[in-house]
Amino acid sequence: MPKFFIGTAGWSYKDWVPAFYPKQQSGGFDWLQFYSHYFNCVEVNSTYYSYLSPRVVESWIRKVIDSEDFTFTVKLHQDFTHKKNFDEKKIKAVNYNLDILSKAERLGGLLIQFPYSFPFSDVTADYVRRLSEIFQSYNLFFEVRHASWQNEQAMELFKKLNLTFCTIDQPQIGKSIPFEPVITNDKAYIRFHGRNVEAWMKSIHSYGKEQSYEEQSERYKYLYSPGELVEIQQKIKEVQGKVKEVYVIMNNHPQGDAVANTFELIHLLEEKIKVDMPATIVKAFPRLQTIFEGNGKSMTLI
Amino acid sequence: MRTIFHLDLDAFFVSVERILDPSLEGKPVIVGGDPHGRGVVAACSYEARRFGLHSAMPIRTAFKLCPQGIYLHGHFKEYSRYSRAVKNILSGYAPVIEQASVDEFYMDFTGCRRMYGSMFELASHLQKKIWVKLSLPCSIGIGGNKTVAKIGSDCMKPMGITYILPGMEKEFLAPMPVETIPGVGKVTMRELNSKGIYKIDDITKLPSDYFAAAFGKYGIDLWLKANGEGSEYLTVEREQKSISKETTFGSDVVNKEIIYNTLFELTGKVCHSLRENNWQAATITIKLRYSDFQTITRSKTIKPSSDDDKVIFETALNMLKKAQTRRVAVRLIGIGLTKFNEFSEQEVLFEDIEIKRKKLLRAVDWLRRKYNYSIITMGAQ
Repeated sequence: MPKFFIGTAGWSYKDWVPAFYPKQQSGGFDWLQFYSHYFNCVEVNSTYYSYLSPRVVESWIRKVIDSEDFTFTVKLHQDFTHKKNFDEKKIKAVNYNLDILSKAERLGGLLIQFPYSFPFSDVTADYVRRLSEIFQSYNLFFEVRHASWQNEQAMELFKKLNLTFCTIDQPQIGKSIPFEPVITNDKAYIRFHGRNVEAWMKSIHSYGKEQSYEEQSERYKYLYSPGELVEIQQKIKEVQGKVKEVYVIMNNHPQGDAVANTFELIHLLEEKIKVDMPATIVKAFPRLQTIFEGNGKSMTLI
Repeated sequence: MRTIFHLDLDAFFVSVERILDPSLEGKPVIVGGDPHGRGVVAACSYEARRFGLHSAMPIRTAFKLCPQGIYLHGHFKEYSRYSRAVKNILSGYAPVIEQASVDEFYMDFTGCRRMYGSMFELASHLQKKIWVKLSLPCSIGIGGNKTVAKIGSDCMKPMGITYILPGMEKEFLAPMPVETIPGVGKVTMRELNSKGIYKIDDITKLPSDYFAAAFGKYGIDLWLKANGEGSEYLTVEREQKSISKETTFGSDVVNKEIIYNTLFELTGKVCHSLRENNWQAATITIKLRYSDFQTITRSKTIKPSSDDDKVIFETALNMLKKAQTRRVAVRLIGIGLTKFNEFSEQEVLFEDIEIKRKKLLRAVDWLRRKYNYSIITMGAQ
């Protein structure tokens, strides 16, 4: 069995209180520390919006010190993937923070996510090649959303450059890439965006307009059903023998759906009968009762 | 002698409902919809069966017997997902699988003894695996043919395993009531009972000619099954896709306009699903049930295939008009589409008018997706 890294896209969501994070928090209570008690991986998404201070990155390392194999994957800034407006200074800023994590042996790799409007062509393939050269020191996970990438030529490119072709589950609209695990090197990176077709369509029509957090997040509001998760697990199982590491990231974050689904996927993928989780999440998602391990291991509040 | 397994998921719909909502554990649960409506019980838990409830019982009767039950409409998509997941697990073991229904599977393990050892242990392993991986209980019957295996899986529920050893089929079946034989319903049971035939043993004591005279071909089949014989070969078909919708009227309907309008609405819905999948259908089937439960189905294959409400409705309506020959009120009307091919715009869109209509249908689908199905209604003409 490969090593599984199963977590969520981001950890800092106010609407995870009180389902995951406790309602009563002391001044010293830290969300990442709490998170790392239950999960062994998190995908950092704030790096997509801003170039973080190295001090912030160093503080993450301190917070997860108790979780031996805890790993961060980091999403590349949108300047590289959406705006295509970067320079040496920006590359340096990205590398600096990645190197801090890497030296501390906490870096899983760099996620490079392109939008739907980045279909396969000679030009886009060249762009992938260029970014892979710039960030060649790290494990690279490339996410593309347009179905045109599902072709032999693209797969050969990924294999040749030793890049991980991300498997994604997203609402099926137009030429969206469907959920079909593909292996191009010794790692698998699987992201779940939910299947909220209606809200996804709405978000396409509201693109560029000013929106509240709730409006922005609505497209990710989706709780995978147990049957959907079982189907997902069986598809992952078909390919997991071909890789050493499998990263599974739930991005359906609104109201803690991602947290509930992550616990369920730990149960299914790591073949654990019971999973350690806070009692509050079982209260919010009663179907977790059957896999809930109430052994008192839960973190005591600081 | 072949080695056939029949795996039956115990109270399948209820088991899935309990995964979705663990608080249903230990309670009488009935899947089938509104307890005051006209539907039937699709599935019920063992706790509900203690009140005399069983599948296919009118749900109103069920409610009278068990008013404290929990009545659910059911999550049918979820049942399909779990059914596929079970098949996926089984396909890792069985060389041949026949899926008889959403919760029943036949497997042929003939010649697999060297690979798996004891067939009983293999059954036990499969049962455990489905329980651990999917939290679904199942029962398994092992026999030399499908009939015996099926009766076997049914006689030790839930979580039972019954192995009918080769040569013991007749003895195994002998003491069982006649209605144990698959296909013997209440009507046949009553008829057999009226002739003094209660147990399977009573059937085998009589010559096959007796049943041939009384029931024709069905009678011979019945006699053979009672003697422990049955089909030894599994039917493996390629995945049959179909889209269908049907409506049971709140009260039986005589007015043809209402019936035709309902058919029109149902057609709109199936065509919408068809286009969502990018399919076109070649075969259209209608279903008509009169108030006395006489049910008629008619099918027609059209060429070329279509995803257009207008084409499909006209074909369905013609069939319905021809099929509806009795002046009896109608209880149910339905439409089904099968034999799909993936839609390819280039192949069929040569004429402007077709392009325009295609765009119109896509626009309708978009509006329905964006708002809801009933935001826009198409006229029948």
